[in-house]
Amino acid sequence: MQNPVAHIQTSRDDHLVAGFAALAIAIHVLESVIPTPIPGIKPGLANLITLYVLLRHGWRMAASVSLLRVLGASLVLGTLLSPTFIMSLSGALASLLVLGLTYRLPGRPLGATGLAILAALAHMLAQFLTAWALFIPHPSLWTLLPILLTAALISGTLGGILLLKIMQRVDVLSTQ
Amino acid sequence: MDTRYHVTLADKLVFVVSACMVGLSYYHFWESGPAQHAVVRDHQQHAHYIDLQQDGIHTVNGMLGTSTLEVQDRQLRFTDSPCSNKLCIQSGWHRQSGDIAACLPNRISVQLARNGEPREYDAINF
Repeated sequence: MQNPVAHIQTSRDDHLVAGFAALAIAIHVLESVIPTPIPGIKPGLANLITLYVLLRHGWRMAASVSLLRVLGASLVLGTLLSPTFIMSLSGALASLLVLGLTYRLPGRPLGATGLAILAALAHMLAQFLTAWALFIPHPSLWTLLPILLTAALISGTLGGILLLKIMQRVDVLSTQ
Repeated sequence: MDTRYHVTLADKLVFVVSACMVGLSYYHFWESGPAQHAVVRDHQQHAHYIDLQQDGIHTVNGMLGTSTLEVQDRQLRFTDSPCSNKLCIQSGWHRQSGDIAACLPNRISVQLARNGEPREYDAINF
């Protein structure tokens, strides 16, 4: 008699994706309860996980982790298919696109900091355009864009530097 | 040297260029220019467009009667309206894009705009 339970072959990469996605979802959910002075501004720590996976395991895994984070966090927060979810997804897709285009440039000129800045700006710009196109199509909204981009630049820069420190620390720990 | 572990020259370049672009965005989006035209809506929701580049007197028929609007030096004001409080007249000159003047008893509203027609609503909240 056949075993009724289906067995799915999982690879080492699958386990890594699951682990990183779980971590990113946890950070995303924690971040969503931190109050911010202006809507749309977040530290973006969950995206550092995406960047970490990109630098260590490549773009495909980073994309899996990022999209699973958007889906998983929306399930936890109860925002699946809501405007929040659409905003989150658009930001994730835009930053993945920009990271895919920039991280494999000839000679790999960009480090974690540059990639984090570009990803943060792409993320913010995509979310802004989505908000403008779908939810708040008012010309005055553009007044908010410079402030939001400034926040993205700051959080991207600090996030990138933080990621450098984390990667160095992980290396020290894993060689011990 | 693995570039992933250091702040590279390209990283610094990305930062500087991004900072410049963000700075330019302030210049681009925060210059609030004077309005170029006004959209007047009457009690039947008909829209009339007034060019603010040309000085002149405009009359609009509302629910109670005729309101008079004056345009001078790219500014606009109510000069007469058949209402009791005359709040629309006392609100004075309007010149910034986005400014709104209204005579509620006469059911006439005026919104100043710079490019294109102002939208029907400002925001949706979820």
